[in-house]
Amino acid sequence: MGILTVLWEKWVEFRRDFYKITVAAMIAPLMYLLIFGMGIQTTSHGEPYLHFLIPGIVAMATMTGSFSAVAQNMSVQRLYEKALDQVMVSPTPLWQFIVGQIIGGSLRGMYAGALILLLTMPIRTDLIFNGQSVFIMLLNGMVFSTIALVLSFLAKSYTDAPRFTAYIITPMSFLCNTFFSTEQMPFGFRQVIALLPLSQTSAMIRSIANAEPAGVFGYIVLGVYLAVFGLFSMVFIYKKKNL
Amino acid sequence: MIEINNLTKRFGDFTAVDHLNLKIETGEFFGLLGPNGAGKTTTISMMSTVLLPSEGEILIDGVRLDRKASEQKRKLSVITQEYSMRQDMTMDEVMMYQGLLYRLPRKEIWEKSGELLDFVGLQAFRHRTVRHLSGGMKRKLMICRALLIEPEILLLDEPTAGMDALSRRQMWSLLRQVNGRNMTIVLTTHYMEEAQALCGRVALINKGALQKLDTPTGLIDELGKFAVDETTENGLKSSYFHDREKAIAYLSQAGAQATFRATTLEDVFVECAGRKIG
Repeated sequence: MGILTVLWEKWVEFRRDFYKITVAAMIAPLMYLLIFGMGIQTTSHGEPYLHFLIPGIVAMATMTGSFSAVAQNMSVQRLYEKALDQVMVSPTPLWQFIVGQIIGGSLRGMYAGALILLLTMPIRTDLIFNGQSVFIMLLNGMVFSTIALVLSFLAKSYTDAPRFTAYIITPMSFLCNTFFSTEQMPFGFRQVIALLPLSQTSAMIRSIANAEPAGVFGYIVLGVYLAVFGLFSMVFIYKKKNL
Repeated sequence: MIEINNLTKRFGDFTAVDHLNLKIETGEFFGLLGPNGAGKTTTISMMSTVLLPSEGEILIDGVRLDRKASEQKRKLSVITQEYSMRQDMTMDEVMMYQGLLYRLPRKEIWEKSGELLDFVGLQAFRHRTVRHLSGGMKRKLMICRALLIEPEILLLDEPTAGMDALSRRQMWSLLRQVNGRNMTIVLTTHYMEEAQALCGRVALINKGALQKLDTPTGLIDELGKFAVDETTENGLKSSYFHDREKAIAYLSQAGAQATFRATTLEDVFVECAGRKIG
């Protein structure tokens, strides 16, 4: 019940800001597609670069969509509007609030990813996007919603949300298998980057797109992130003395 | 019944609430008064679980209140000092969100919202977003939101701040009405006449610690029911008397600049807070 209440609140926000959310979700990925995929015509592993790029951009869009939906919303609610107080004092179990935020954030990420798929549909790439791809997008969105929750509980000011994006989301966007394979990175750095959630999501969506098995390792990595940050967010909302 | 046992809240080295002990009976209209920074809002924040105590506990009907205590929280509703609402929601959405958080059926939320918003004169603005409301309207909306769920305990942190005199009187009437239905009300306010008019008992706190606890009449009697104000070189000086004749005698000695009046709760507050701060 509490989960549905949070999803209702997210829906109200989505419905109200539909155009703003839609345009914001499309601009950056569209630019990347135009500049790197179509402007700078090149190939990767003997294939048009767009074939490599599109799955990475879809993964990136789900990440940014989910992260920004939760990080901005929660930081403003907690530190500026103080609207989180309304939830804290209510009898809605706080774990349901957290789960609602994670699902709601993930759905926003899925929406951003789906927009990219829709925009790239006219480009005939023969890439495969199926139910498994959608599940991975959902999982990726959940991971980044959970990370956003933890960071927004740690935020000291509501202006911290854009900083989190600058410190975490932007570097990940460029380094984690979106524009080039992590295999080309130096030893040591490569392994670290490969363990980041977006690297795994991009790799899995790309594998499926090329009719190859996604492998289990990526699911394990995403599952570990989800569990760890989910646990942190639960601890924060139940135990943090000055929320 | 609300029991506050040894409640303490520290922010680093600063102690905002210092081993506070209170018992508030069911159906009581209780005032929590004190100067700025006395710890009133921190106490209310702990009673609404937004802040967790550093020490001590709050019991609602004998059960410890914490963030997991859904049954206890179901009894509570709070009106915070700040406008704690989604600024981009409409009034209807704010009410619906509140009702859903308390698991009320949508139809009931819609009907009760209509009644409450109508009562405070906001019915015509139901579709307006919070961002576009005046301060007084936001305050009224917060009160409607708090009453929507028909709580057993209502925590009010400066509920009439920013309201005009007429709206404030309407609010007093509403609060008396809901208190009459056996709703326990805990009120913090800067308006002493508000506390005197509404509260059955008041606690004066300063620097987080309890200074005095009694009925408004009891506190006034303790200070002296009769006051004489006189203008001196150092400003206005008030003297208090238990005996009317002594007050009048003092007045006649003090000269033309002096005036005689009844002592108010504000005098008690000023004497208590002023002495402690000084």
